[in-house]
Amino acid sequence: MAATLTDATRPRFAHASEAELARILDFYRVEWRYEPDCFPIAWNASGAVTESFAPDFYLPQIDLYVELTTLKQSLVRKKNRKLRWMRLLYPEVRVKLLYARDFRALMIKYGRHDFMVQVFDANTVGAPGPMAPQAAPSAASAVVAA
Amino acid sequence: MTLDDDVSEVLLTEEQIRSRVAELGVELSADYGGRQPVLVSVLKGSIVFLADLIRATEIPVSVDLMELSSYGSETETSGQVRILKDLSGSIEDRDVIVVEDIIDTGLTLNYLLRYLHDRRPASVRICCLLDKPARRLADIEIDYRGFEIPDRFVVGYGLDFDERYRNRPSVYGGEDPGP
Repeated sequence: MAATLTDATRPRFAHASEAELARILDFYRVEWRYEPDCFPIAWNASGAVTESFAPDFYLPQIDLYVELTTLKQSLVRKKNRKLRWMRLLYPEVRVKLLYARDFRALMIKYGRHDFMVQVFDANTVGAPGPMAPQAAPSAASAVVAA
Repeated sequence: MTLDDDVSEVLLTEEQIRSRVAELGVELSADYGGRQPVLVSVLKGSIVFLADLIRATEIPVSVDLMELSSYGSETETSGQVRILKDLSGSIEDRDVIVVEDIIDTGLTLNYLLRYLHDRRPASVRICCLLDKPARRLADIEIDYRGFEIPDRFVVGYGLDFDERYRNRPSVYGGEDPGP
């Protein structure tokens, strides 16, 4: 059973989408930790870490790290590169990267159109997919012609 | 009722579904011969699949239904999943087959499995019509899989969008969510 996180212990999330994912995990009683581990992925000649990767969430019951990326495409490429190194250097560690389209789809699935519009209008530069309704009323009309 | 272009692509035809469901019924009948499993289905999306599946089996089966609150449907989104309709009967020492319409993130099923295991069934297996692994978060071992589908929004054959399209006999796909 997931630990119930009080507001006092809830971490300060870097992005609203991370807070939303935390709420979803809480809802389904999946325990999570926010950025609990940092994995070095590059070192200089003297052995000092020059680059690392800290996935947003760790789900201990599932033994899975989750990285959310709802940001610009250029940053997505950077994260993809980090993830490739991560998987190469730590093949035993399971990491799931949720892209903006994945998060949008989750928000559609849960009917969180208002949140999606709020978050993506404010933060996402990537073109919204055809699935992404612009607002709740058009969400229905986007797929319906009764 | 017609479908808009956004969901007009038929991913799975009525015939494909009927054929695969029949195969699943045969598999279940073979695997559970001599036993009477209880098929537990989660409202509402699974009802069409469940109705067809039980008629495709040739063994005695029991049916039970549950309903869980869904994230986003709650006015207060900081809550936790609630059981809106519990099992009608005991599953203790019973062979349980969870019948699901679609497995996406696996979070709902992950919760449901923990709930069911607490009720001490003899066994629990999972039968799903649609497996969408692209966004899977929870590890779910699927014993009987109808179709693996790509990362598409789907409606029809019990699956809805805003309570619509459940009555469509095929499964329709929406556009890819985009880059």
